[in-house]
Amino acid sequence: MLYLDLTVTGLMTGVFYALMAIGLTLIFGILRVVNFAHGEFYMVGAYTYTLLSTALGVPVWLTLPAAVLVGAALGWVTERTLMRPLYAGYSSWGLMKDEYAIIVTFGLSLLLINLVDKVIGPYPYRGPELIDTARVHLGPVIADGHRLMATGLGVAVIAGVFAFMRFTVAGKQVQAVAQNRLGASLAGIDPGRVSAAVFAASGGLAAFAGGLLAPIINASPDVGVFTAVKSYVVVVLGGMGSVAGAVVAGLFLGVAESFGAVFISYGYRDTFGLVILILVLMFRPQGLFGEKGRSV
Amino acid sequence: MGNSERRLRAEFHGSLVILALVAALPLVLTSVYWQGVVIVSLYYALQAMGWNLVTGYTGQMNLAPAAFAMVGAYGVGLLSHHWGISPWLGVPVGVAAAAGIGLVLGRIVLPLQGAYVALTTLSFAEILRLVIGNSYSVTRGDLGLNVPTVFDGRLPYYYLMLAVVVLVQIALYALMRSRMGLFLQAVRDDEVAAASRGVSIVWWKTLAFVVSSAICGLAGTLYAPFAGLISPELGLILNTGLVVSMVVIGGMGTMIGPIVGALLVYTAGEMLREVGDYHLIVFALLVIVFARFFRGGIWGLLQLGADRLPGRRETGAREG
Repeated sequence: MLYLDLTVTGLMTGVFYALMAIGLTLIFGILRVVNFAHGEFYMVGAYTYTLLSTALGVPVWLTLPAAVLVGAALGWVTERTLMRPLYAGYSSWGLMKDEYAIIVTFGLSLLLINLVDKVIGPYPYRGPELIDTARVHLGPVIADGHRLMATGLGVAVIAGVFAFMRFTVAGKQVQAVAQNRLGASLAGIDPGRVSAAVFAASGGLAAFAGGLLAPIINASPDVGVFTAVKSYVVVVLGGMGSVAGAVVAGLFLGVAESFGAVFISYGYRDTFGLVILILVLMFRPQGLFGEKGRSV
Repeated sequence: MGNSERRLRAEFHGSLVILALVAALPLVLTSVYWQGVVIVSLYYALQAMGWNLVTGYTGQMNLAPAAFAMVGAYGVGLLSHHWGISPWLGVPVGVAAAAGIGLVLGRIVLPLQGAYVALTTLSFAEILRLVIGNSYSVTRGDLGLNVPTVFDGRLPYYYLMLAVVVLVQIALYALMRSRMGLFLQAVRDDEVAAASRGVSIVWWKTLAFVVSSAICGLAGTLYAPFAGLISPELGLILNTGLVVSMVVIGGMGTMIGPIVGALLVYTAGEMLREVGDYHLIVFALLVIVFARFFRGGIWGLLQLGADRLPGRRETGAREG
């Protein structure tokens, strides 16, 4: 029973790791950069959901989409103002691309953390739950009602992302830009628009995860930092740029942490990710689903 | 003498002038509080110099300078807490610990490129902080460790920290003037081209990473006896953010940028603190604005201004 329980709990955590990692990996696929403010999009989502619901009394079924919209808007603005130089006519910067993207998104992360800290305050806020049901019995496993609902929504959205990438023209355009930016633009796809849309989607996904977890994580300004670290582990494990890899690796990390917390140490459960990250870098740097990178 | 060598020398001389001004500062700055502020800015200047070596000059995005300073500080703190060993003996141990961890981490991650280094160092920094905070029996966790002071009064710390900054700056200058400096910049500018010309890029990257970690560790070992109390907060990602903003604002990949940036950013932060606690917001904004529009930092802007002044071009060309 314990094993089943741990697996289910781990998978339920893993769904949120996957949600976070999909956004990161999509951005990496399109722009070959890592967004170091990704955890702060998650944080903003949690705050939007919580404050709109508790301070203004808006029903949760409206604040959740509102959180997604705010995250998407943030992602879109970030792309338009800070990421454009990566591809729009700043060719002499090509060699400094990674440095620029990391510094500027890291700066954005610090800015958002400190802004929230000053404007809203450093105290944690607990978000309202989506449904009142305290406990749900799923056969032998007992799950918290809100967590179950949140996980269900998360799974639905992940399925939606897969369907979008596979079956819609827009999704194929995203894949085309990820495979060959120049080639895609020759075929009439505007890589700039695709990049902005992907950044918006990524911000929306992170904010969605933040909103769903708001009753559990107690949003504070730096709540996204550790979540972001976990997403980096997941993205590297799954292979940078691979959406399927992000999902599999996210679920895997969730289960690994859930078992490790019981069988190894509860206090150090957040360190397992680093161990996994180091092992992946040493033995399979391209990740589970990634393509082998250029090597010198 | 080549153009880049001239520029390097001008930056180095400029930094010495600024450090000389800092040395004279206690003559007029008698406030113990503000002397303490300068000591802490010098602590950050050391980290900024270390970070600039591996990121500004070598192009490897290390997001753990504050974590290495924390390692150094805990080297001193743990030795004195468990065995009563003097902080003076703790300094080499702390530096060696930081360099050793830098070596292991560098060996793992530096063969890879781009964002991997940033991802791994950031994860490492956050998780090391968590481990120190959770290992109560060894480190006293979030309560922190008391470290015995080594001097009475502020000024000895002030001049010790300043002397170390000067020595490290001289060492970095010698290093950047040597072939190694060229190799590091070649790695930053184009790894593939550097490798094709026979530069063993992983070796040079690792060396830069180890030296940088050691400098950050050194900063921590000196900070510990001055502060008297160390805690895992030393390794907070916000402190790494401060180091990054100092170098980006001062001028990345220059000899003088980290020192100017650290002194300006930290003292300005303390001044802004009196009008309201908005300094971190301001610096984060400045990082974005500088990275986006003024990539050379303040030093780059000054050079640009100097080049545009009529009649200054000749002297500019001779001196820098």
